Amino acid sequence: MKRIFNQESVLVENRYIWAGLLVFLVSAALLLRLWYLQVYKGDHYQKISERNRVRRIEIPAPRGVFYDRHGEVVLGNRPFFDLVYIPQYVQDVDTTFKILSRLLHVPIRNFKKRLRANSGRPKFLPISLKRNLSEHEVATIEANKVFLPGIEIRVAPRRDYKKDSSSHLVGYLREIDPKTLKKKNEESLSNPYLPGDLIGRQGLESRWERHLRGKRGYRLIQVDAYGRQTIDDDRQWSFPKVAAIPGSDLSLTIDGELQNFVKRTFSGKYGAIVVLDPRTGQILAQVSEPGFDPEMMQTGLSQEDWRRLTSNQFKPFLDKTTGGEFPPGSIYKPIVALAALEEKIINQSTTYRCPGSFVLGDSIFHCHDRGGHGRVNLRKAIVSSCDIFFYHVGVDLGVDRIAKYARAFGLGERLGTNLNMERPGLIPTSAWKQLVHRFPWTAGDTPSISIGQGYNLMTPMQMASLYASLANKGKVWRPYLVKSVTNHIGETVLEQRPKLLKSVDIISPENFKIMNDMLLGVVEDAEGTGKKSAVEGTTVAGKTGSAQVVGLKKNRNQDDVSRKWKEHAIFTAFSPVENAEIAIAVVSQNDVIGGGGRSAAPVAGKIIQKYWDLKKEREQKLSKLNGQKHEQQTRF
Amino acid sequence: MSSKQDSKVFLIGEDNIKKANSRQIPILLAIFFFLLAIGLINLYSASVGNHYFWAQLRNLTITLTAFVIFGWLIPIKRINAYAYGIVGSVCFLLTVVLLLGRIAGGAQRWISLGPIGFQPSEFAKLATAIVVARFFATHKSDTPYRIRDLLPLIAFVGTIFTLIFLQPDFGTAGVCLLIAVSQVAFVRIDIRSIAVILVSSPIIAALGWHLLLRPYQKLRILNLLNPNLDPQNTGWNSLQSLVAVGSGSLMGKGYMQGTQAHLKFLPERHTDFVFSVFAEEHGFWGAFVVFGLFVSLVLIALDIAKNSKDTFSSMLAIGIAFFIFWEFAINIAMVLGVFPVVGLPLPFFSYGSSLLLTVCVGLGLLVSINRNTYGLSKP
Repeated sequence: MKRIFNQESVLVENRYIWAGLLVFLVSAALLLRLWYLQVYKGDHYQKISERNRVRRIEIPAPRGVFYDRHGEVVLGNRPFFDLVYIPQYVQDVDTTFKILSRLLHVPIRNFKKRLRANSGRPKFLPISLKRNLSEHEVATIEANKVFLPGIEIRVAPRRDYKKDSSSHLVGYLREIDPKTLKKKNEESLSNPYLPGDLIGRQGLESRWERHLRGKRGYRLIQVDAYGRQTIDDDRQWSFPKVAAIPGSDLSLTIDGELQNFVKRTFSGKYGAIVVLDPRTGQILAQVSEPGFDPEMMQTGLSQEDWRRLTSNQFKPFLDKTTGGEFPPGSIYKPIVALAALEEKIINQSTTYRCPGSFVLGDSIFHCHDRGGHGRVNLRKAIVSSCDIFFYHVGVDLGVDRIAKYARAFGLGERLGTNLNMERPGLIPTSAWKQLVHRFPWTAGDTPSISIGQGYNLMTPMQMASLYASLANKGKVWRPYLVKSVTNHIGETVLEQRPKLLKSVDIISPENFKIMNDMLLGVVEDAEGTGKKSAVEGTTVAGKTGSAQVVGLKKNRNQDDVSRKWKEHAIFTAFSPVENAEIAIAVVSQNDVIGGGGRSAAPVAGKIIQKYWDLKKEREQKLSKLNGQKHEQQTRF
Repeated sequence: MSSKQDSKVFLIGEDNIKKANSRQIPILLAIFFFLLAIGLINLYSASVGNHYFWAQLRNLTITLTAFVIFGWLIPIKRINAYAYGIVGSVCFLLTVVLLLGRIAGGAQRWISLGPIGFQPSEFAKLATAIVVARFFATHKSDTPYRIRDLLPLIAFVGTIFTLIFLQPDFGTAGVCLLIAVSQVAFVRIDIRSIAVILVSSPIIAALGWHLLLRPYQKLRILNLLNPNLDPQNTGWNSLQSLVAVGSGSLMGKGYMQGTQAHLKFLPERHTDFVFSVFAEEHGFWGAFVVFGLFVSLVLIALDIAKNSKDTFSSMLAIGIAFFIFWEFAINIAMVLGVFPVVGLPLPFFSYGSSLLLTVCVGLGLLVSINRNTYGLSKP
C-alpha cells in the first residue's frame, strides 16, 4: 500500500454534498411524517387525547313529586347523606377506617367489604361506605374531616317516605335489573337508564315512570393518566355542565289527610279500602293491607326481610284494591233487588217468610240469622240482610238476568284504573259455567249467587264503584288517581278528566231512589246491620256484607275457626244519600272481630266522619282567608 | 515532475494555504443558544411539578463552562495529541460501569460521584468521533482503504460498541456505530470490502438478533411494526407519544397546555419523549422551526469540517455533525413512531447532564476547529 504521509486530507470532497443530501432527505421524511400525524390525522389524535383525559360524572335527576288534590305533598324527595370514599385522595386506608369505625360504630370489616366489592373502578369514582347517614353522623364526620382525607359526604335526592306512606299507591323503587335495562333502553335512546339506577316497580312510580324519572345531567371532569381527577384550579380545565332535569310532578285525586287517616284507621286489619267521589270517579283514598316499607326497598332489602315479605300468606306486595278479588257477600243484594224490581218479579210489598233456611231440591241454604227473620218484605230484607228473601228472588230471576244487571254496572270487567295489576272480578252466567267448568248451570247454584256468594268475585275498587253508581243513580265513572302531570317548568303535560264508562239505563231512577232509601235504612233503622257506620250531622247509606270463605257446619260459628277460614267483613256506603260526595268500600279480609256490620261498618263510619270534618275545616279556613283578603282590599 | 510534486508538498503549510475564516462561529453560536433556549423553555413545561428544569439550569452553568474551555482555551491539536488517552479513559469508565453493574446485579449506566451522576456512554459518542478522526489522521492512504487497513479502527470502535452494548444500551451503542460509519463514509473504501460488509452484515444482524438482543429489546423493535399490540405496556409509550404529537395539530395546544404531557399520559416526558411535549404544545409549525435549527446546525458543522485544514479536524467535525444528526433523527423517529423506542435523548431538549455536557464539548470542539486557521500541520 502506497502511503502519502504528507497529504493533508484523505477526505473526498463530494461526500459533503452526499452528506448534506442525506441530512436533508432524512429530515424531510421525518417532517413529512410529522405533517401526516399533526395535520392529516390531527383531528383523530385530538379526539383520542380528549377521550384520554375527560371522564363523565352523572348527576342524578330528582324524581317528580306527588301532590294530593289540595296541593299537599304526598311523596317528595329529600337529600340523602351517603358516606363515600374517594380512593384517589385517601392517604392511609387503615387509619381512615379506624377513625371512621370509632365515629360511626361500624366494624372495619364492613368498610373493607365495601371496598373489595368496588375494586377495579376508576380512582376518582366514590365508593359508598354507608348509606343514609343521620344528621348526628353527618355532624360527627364533618367535625373530624381534617383527619379524614378522601372521605366525603355526598348528597343524592331520594324518596322521602313518611312513616305511614301508602306503599301500594305510590309503589316503590328498586335498582333496575339487566333485562329491564336492556328493554327500556331499546325503547328510549335519548334518556337511557344506567346500571344501578332506581326504577319504579309498583303503583304510581311504575305506571308514571316515564314522566317521573326526569333526565340525568352530567359534568365532565379531567383525569390524569392514573385516573385521578385533576383539581379544577384553572379556568382552562372547566367544562360545561349539563344540569339534571327533574321529573314531572303528579297532581293526584287523593286527599292526603284522608288517605293517612284511612291508613291509620285500617291498621291491624288485612284487606283494602277504597274511597271514591261518586260525582267524578276520582279516588280520594285507597289502602291495601298488609303493605311493605318502601324505604326498605330503596335502601336495600336483606334476604330475611325479603323472605318474610314473600312468605306472608296475606301477600304484602299485592295491591288488593284492584288486584284482590273477594266474594262480595250481601253488598251484592241491591243488584239482585233492583233486577227483581225492574223485571217485575217483586214489588216493594212482596213478602217471603224466613224460617232460617231454604230448601231447593235436596240442598238446604241457611240464612245468616239461623233463627229466621219471620215475614220479610224487600226493605226488611235489605236492612237486616235476610238471605232467604234473596234466595227466593234469585231463583225466580235466574242467574243470567242477575248477571245482566250486574254487568250493567261494569262488574265482571276491568274498570281501567291502570294501576298495579287490575283484576276483572267475576259475574257468573250459565254460559260462563258451561265454558269454564264444562258443566251446565244447576238450579242449586243460583241461591248462592243471589246473596253474592258462590262464583261471584269483586275487587274493592269495583265495590266502591258500584255504590258510587247507586249513589249517582246509574253513572259508572272510571276511577282515576292522576289529575294532571306538570313538568319542571310548570307546563301541564297531561290532564285527565272524568270519564263516563257506562250509564245504567235499564234501571229507572225511581227504583234507584227506592234502593238508596233502603240502604239509608241499613244504617239508620233500629234493626239495620250497618248502624255502627252512622255519622252525626249527615246521612249515610250503606250495606254490610259478610262473605263466607267456607261453609260452616251448623254447630260451629266464626269464633272457633282459624283466621284463614274466617269470613271477610265488608261494608260499602255512600254519603249523603242525596247528591253523594263520597262512596266507600271497606273489605276486611278474614276479619277476627266478625262480619261487615260489626267490623267493617265502624271503620267506614269513622272515615266518612273524617271526610266531613275535613271538609268543614277547609271551608272555615277558606272563608277566613277570603275575609282577610276582603279586609286587605278595603284597606286599599 | 518530481520537483513539481515536491514543491507542492512543500508549499502546503506555507502561504499557499487559504486562511480559514471563522465566519461559522457566530451562526453556530446563534443556533446553539436558540436551541438551548427552546429546549429549556420546553423542559420547564415538560417537568412541571418536579426539579428537572432547575437541575438542568444548574447543569448548564457547568456545561457552558466546558463549552468555553473546549472552544477557546484548549487548542484542537491537544485533542489530537491526547486522542487515544481520551478514548482510553472513556473505555475505562465504561468498564467500571459494567463492573459496577455486575456487582449491583442489573443494568447499570451510571457512575455516581457524590451528588453528581454521569453516563460514560454519552461521552463515548464523542470518543468514537475522536478515535476515528485520529485514526485517519495518522493512517493516510491515497488508495481506497481495505478492511485489513481498517482493522485497528474496527477494533477501537468494536470495543466501545461492545462495552456499551453489554450495559445493555442498544441505542447508544448503535449511535456510536453510526457516527463511526458516517465518518468512514467520507474516505475511499475498496469496493470489494464494501461488498463483503454488505453481504456479511445481514448475517451478523441475524446472528445478533438471536444471540445478542435481549427479549425487551426484541419486543421494542416488534412494537414498531404494530404499536397497538400491547397499549398498556411496551407500546404504551409509542402510542401516547403519537397521540401527543398528533393532537398538537398545526398550531399546537399552547405553551403549558399540553394535556397529554401535563396529565402524565406521556411517559419519559423530560427525557426520551421531550419532543412530544414540544410538538403537542407548539404544533407543526413549532416543530418545523426546531427541524430547521437542527438541520442548520448539522449543515454548519459539515461546513466547518469542509473548511478545516487537516484530516483530524475535518473528521472530528464530521463526527460531531453526525453525532447531533443521528441523535436528532433517531429520537424524532422514535417520537413519531417510525423507529423502536431505543431510549435516545434529544440534544438540547432532554434532561440529563451527561448528554448536555457531551453536546457542549462537541460544539466547543467545532468552535475550536473553526478558530484554528492553519490546520495541525503548521507547527
